[in-house]
Amino acid sequence: MTTVRSGTERVGSVLRHVALGLGALLFLLPFYLLIRNALSTNADITSPQWTFFPDDIQWDNIGELFADPAVPMLRSLLNSVVISVLETSGAVLIGALAGYGLARIPYRHANVVLGMIVGTLMIPAAVTFVPTFVMVSTLGWVSSLQGIIVPGLFQALVVFLFRQYFLNFPRELEEAGRVDGLGYPGVFFRIVVPNSKAFVAAVATITFIGSWNAFLWPLVIAQDSSSWTVQIALSTFLTAQTVNLHELFMAAVFSILPMMLVFLGLQRFIVQGVESTGTTGQ
Amino acid sequence: MARAPLRHRLLGEQNRNLWFWVFVGPFVIGLMIFVLVPILWSIYLSFFEARNTVTPSLFVGLDNYGDMLSDPAFLSSLGTFVVFAAFIVPLTFVGSLGLALLVHRARFAKAFFRSVFFLPVACSYVVAAMIWKLSIFSGVRFGLANSVLRALGLDSVAWLSVTQPPWYWLVIVTLRLWLQLGFYMILFLAGLQRIPTVLYEAAAVDGAKPGWQVFRYITFPQLRTTSVAVLLLLLINAFQAFDEFYNLLANAGASGGGGYPPYARPPLVYLYYTALGNQQDFGHGSAGAVILALVIALFTVLQGRLLGFGRKEDRA
Amino acid sequence: MSDISSQRRFDRRRFLGLTGTLAAAGFAAACGSNTGREGSSTAPAASSGASSPAGSAGSSAAPGGGGGGEIAQWYHAYGETGTQQAVEKYAAAYTDAKVSVTWIPGDYEKKTQASLLTDGGPDVFEWGNGPSIDMIQSGQVVELGDILGDADDDFTQSLVDRMTYDGKLYGVPQVIDMQLLVYRKSMLDDAGIEPPTSFDGLAAAAKALTTADVKGLFLGNDGGVGVMAGPTLWSVGADYLTEDNTFGFADPNVAVAFGKLHELFTSDSLLLGAPTDWSDPSAITQGLTAMQWTGLWTFPQLQKDLGDDFGVLPWPAFSATVGAPSVPIGAYGSAVSAKAKDPEAAKAYVKWLWVDNTEDQLDFAQSYGFHVPARKSLADQAESLKSGPAADAVTILQNNGKAQTPLLWTPASGTALSDAVSRIIKDGADPVSELAAVQKTVEAELERVTK
Repeated sequence: MTTVRSGTERVGSVLRHVALGLGALLFLLPFYLLIRNALSTNADITSPQWTFFPDDIQWDNIGELFADPAVPMLRSLLNSVVISVLETSGAVLIGALAGYGLARIPYRHANVVLGMIVGTLMIPAAVTFVPTFVMVSTLGWVSSLQGIIVPGLFQALVVFLFRQYFLNFPRELEEAGRVDGLGYPGVFFRIVVPNSKAFVAAVATITFIGSWNAFLWPLVIAQDSSSWTVQIALSTFLTAQTVNLHELFMAAVFSILPMMLVFLGLQRFIVQGVESTGTTGQ
Repeated sequence: MARAPLRHRLLGEQNRNLWFWVFVGPFVIGLMIFVLVPILWSIYLSFFEARNTVTPSLFVGLDNYGDMLSDPAFLSSLGTFVVFAAFIVPLTFVGSLGLALLVHRARFAKAFFRSVFFLPVACSYVVAAMIWKLSIFSGVRFGLANSVLRALGLDSVAWLSVTQPPWYWLVIVTLRLWLQLGFYMILFLAGLQRIPTVLYEAAAVDGAKPGWQVFRYITFPQLRTTSVAVLLLLLINAFQAFDEFYNLLANAGASGGGGYPPYARPPLVYLYYTALGNQQDFGHGSAGAVILALVIALFTVLQGRLLGFGRKEDRA
Repeated sequence: MSDISSQRRFDRRRFLGLTGTLAAAGFAAACGSNTGREGSSTAPAASSGASSPAGSAGSSAAPGGGGGGEIAQWYHAYGETGTQQAVEKYAAAYTDAKVSVTWIPGDYEKKTQASLLTDGGPDVFEWGNGPSIDMIQSGQVVELGDILGDADDDFTQSLVDRMTYDGKLYGVPQVIDMQLLVYRKSMLDDAGIEPPTSFDGLAAAAKALTTADVKGLFLGNDGGVGVMAGPTLWSVGADYLTEDNTFGFADPNVAVAFGKLHELFTSDSLLLGAPTDWSDPSAITQGLTAMQWTGLWTFPQLQKDLGDDFGVLPWPAFSATVGAPSVPIGAYGSAVSAKAKDPEAAKAYVKWLWVDNTEDQLDFAQSYGFHVPARKSLADQAESLKSGPAADAVTILQNNGKAQTPLLWTPASGTALSDAVSRIIKDGADPVSELAAVQKTVEAELERVTK
C-alpha cells in the first residue's frame, strides 16, 4: 500500500501499541505472581496489605523445596525429563511413519483406517479411563515409567497432523528419490524427513509440552513416589491437608521452567508449522 | 498356482499393501490396544449393571441410558456446557482474532508480543488453576482481585464460593482465555499472512476505507476457513472441559472423600467425578460417556453443516 | 483418499486452506489442553481421546501386587509431617512378611478403587469408616473374622459396628478422627462473647466477630456444604438414616436448620475462599477467622501457633429446646483386598499392626496430628490428650460424638444430599423441595443395597 500515512493512522498505530502493551502486561501478570509468591514468606503471601514486591526475597525457598524429604522434587524432575523425551521421540516417529503411510502409500482400505483414527479423536479420554487402566495394569506396568510412556506413544492427533502435512509435501522431491532407486523407507528417511525438520520440530514441541504437563494418567499409574512426575509432586502440595504456600508456588515455578525454556527456544517451529500446513501447495 | 495371485493381492502392486502396513501398522496396533479396546469395553459396560467391577454379568439393556437421560444432574451438566460454550467460544474467537490483528499490524516488537501471548500455551492447567485460585481470585483479603476492589473502595468477593452472582464463571473463563487465546491467535496470524496483498490494493483503489470496511469486506471473508476450523475446535474443546473446573472447584468433603458443587459441573466432570468416581458405577458412567460422545459428534456435524465446512461447491 | 484428491483438484486452494488450518488447529487442541494428551483427566482436546491412557505390558511388577511373602499396604497422604515415615517404620518392623508401604497423594479414593479392579492393587488398604457397602457387596474386600480376638471389647463399639455388615467385620478401626469447632479465646473475650450454645448464638457470634480483616466463622471454602450436613441433621435430632435403615430426616425442622445455614452464608460473616480448606488450621492461625470448623488432627499446629489461645466446642444444638450438640467422628478402617495374593498373611499383618501392636498405635495417634486411639485402653494412655483443649475435645467426643455416616449411606445418597445442601445454602433454594428430592434418591439407594 502506498497511501501516505495520515494523522489518524499514526494515532491508530500508537493506540494499537498501547493496547498490545497492556495486553502483554496482563498476560505476563500470572507468571509474575507465580514467581513473587515462590520467593515470598508465607506471611508475605497472606499479608492483609497486598504488595507488588515481597519485602524480603526468600532465595532460601529454592533450597527448602529441594531439601523437603516429603516431596522428591529432583527425582520427579528427572522422571519428567526421561518420560517427556522418550515419549516425544517415540510418538513423533510412530506418528510420522503412520502419517506418511496414510498420505502417500495407496491402499484400498486407507480410508477406513483414517476414519478410525479421526473418530477416536472425538471420544473424550476421561470416559474410557477405567478400562484403559485395567488393561495397563494387567500388563503389570503400574508404577513404572513405561506404564506412563507407552500408552502415550500412539497419538491420533500426531498422525493426523503428519498426514495433512505430507499430503502437501512436494511430490517432485520424492519422485527424484524414486528415480534414484529408493523404496518407501528410503524416500521417507532420506528425502521426506530431512526436508521436514521444521514441521517435525513443531510437532515434537507440542507433544513435549503435552507430555510434560500430563496430569491424570501419571497420577493414576505412578503410585509409588519413585515414578512420580513433576506434576504429581506438585499435586502432593496442592492436596496435602496442610498447604505450604511458598513451597507450592516454588514447585510450580520449577515445573514450568523447563517448559518455558523449551517453548521459547522452539516456538518459531510451531509458528512455521502452523503456517506451512496451510500455505504449501497453494 | 493360486499362490501367486493371492500373494499379489495381499502385498499389492510394488508391495504397496505391505509397505502401507509397515508404516501404519505400529500405530494402528497401539491404537487398538490402548484406545479402541477401552472404547469398546466402555460401550459394552454401558449395557450392564456394573458397580465396582469392569467384568459385569447382569445385562440391563438400555436401562442405563434411560436413567442417564432422565437424571436431572446429568442434564444440568449438559446445560452447564452450553453456558460455558456460550462464554468461551465467542470470547476466544473475538479475543484471538483481535490479538492477531493487533500483532499482525504491529510495527515494533512484533515477535515479542507474539511470544508473550503465546507463552501461556506451555503452562499446565494445574499451575494456572493454582495461580487463579490462590493468588488472583482468592476469596480473602490478600487476593489480587480483592485488593484491587478494596483499592476502589468496594467489598471483597468470594469469587469461587458464591453462586449469586455467579462470579465463578469469571474465574473459569479468564483462566481458559489466558491459556488458549495465544494459540488461536497463531492460527489467525497464519491466516492473515495468507491473504494476498493484492486484495487490499484493489480495495484501496475501489475506495474502501482502511479499518472496519476493509476488515468487513476483505480480511474477515478471507479468514473464513481459519474461522471455521477455530470454531470447530473451540466447541469440541469446550465439550471436553475438565481440568480447570476440577482444579478450581473440587473441594475437600467430609472424611477425605472430595466433593464437587452442583453448579458449574460440566458433563465430563459429572461423569468422572460422580458416576465413575466414588460411586464406581461403570454402567451408568459408560452410558453417559456414550451419550456425550454422540452429542459431541452431533454438534460437530451440525456446526460443520451450518458453517459450510466441506461444501465442495463453495469457493472462496 | 481418492475423493479427497479429486476434491483437491476441484478446489485445491480452498481445501488446502481448510485442512491446513484444521491441522494447525490440531496444535491448538494439543497445546491448549496440555494435559489433554494423556487424556484422562484433563481433558479437553480432541486429542486426548485419542491417545489416551493405559499402560501396558510390562515388566516391572507393580508394587501393589504383593505376593511372594510381600504385602502391599496403601495409605492416603496424611497432611501431618512425619506420618509417612512413621507408617514405613511400623511396616519395616514386621517380621513375618515384607511390607511395602505406598503413600498416595491426590485422589486416594479414585486411585484405590481403580486399582482394586486389577491385580495391581493393594493387599491392605485404609478406607474412611471401613469399606463401602458396594465394596462389600461386590466382594472386593474379605471378611476379617474374629481378628479383634480378646481386644474386641476394647475397641470403640460404634466404630466396630460401622465396619460390620451382616454380622461380619470388614475393617479394623485405626484411629478416631473427630471434627469440631475451635475458636480464638482472645477474640471472643475482646468482643465480650460467650462460646455459643445454639445455632442462633453461633450466627450472632460470627456476626459480632467479623471485622474488616477478620471473618467470624470458617466452615470450609464452600460455606459448609461439604462438612455441615451431618451436624445440621444432628442439631435438630435427626440423622442420615434411622436405626432400622430408613430415610432419617423427614423432620420439618431439618429444612428450617438448613435454611438457617443459607442465612449464615449470606450474612457476610463466613470466611470463604481461603487458601487452605477447613481441614488445615491456617485460616485460624493466620488470623483470617475467629472461629473455625476443623479436626482434632490440627491441634499440634494450633498449639504451636496459638499457644493456649484457643478453645473447642461441639456444633451447637439448634436451640435451647430442639436437638443436641454434636461432633462427627470417624475412623479409617484397615481392610484386606479380595485380590490380595495371600489374604491370610494380609489379615495377620492387619492384626499385628492395628490390633496387637499397641505401642505403634499410640505413636500413630498422637505423635503427628492428634487422633484418639481406637482402643479405649490406649485412649486412656494418650498423654497428649489429657490436658488443655485436647482433653476438652475428648470429653466432647465422648458426650456428643456421632458416627460420620452410616454404612448404607451410599456415595449416590451423599452426592444427592450435598448437591441439595449446596443449592439451599448458596442459591437459597427451597429446603423442603430440595430435601424431598434427596429422599427419593436415598430411598432408591436403600432399596438397591438391601434387595
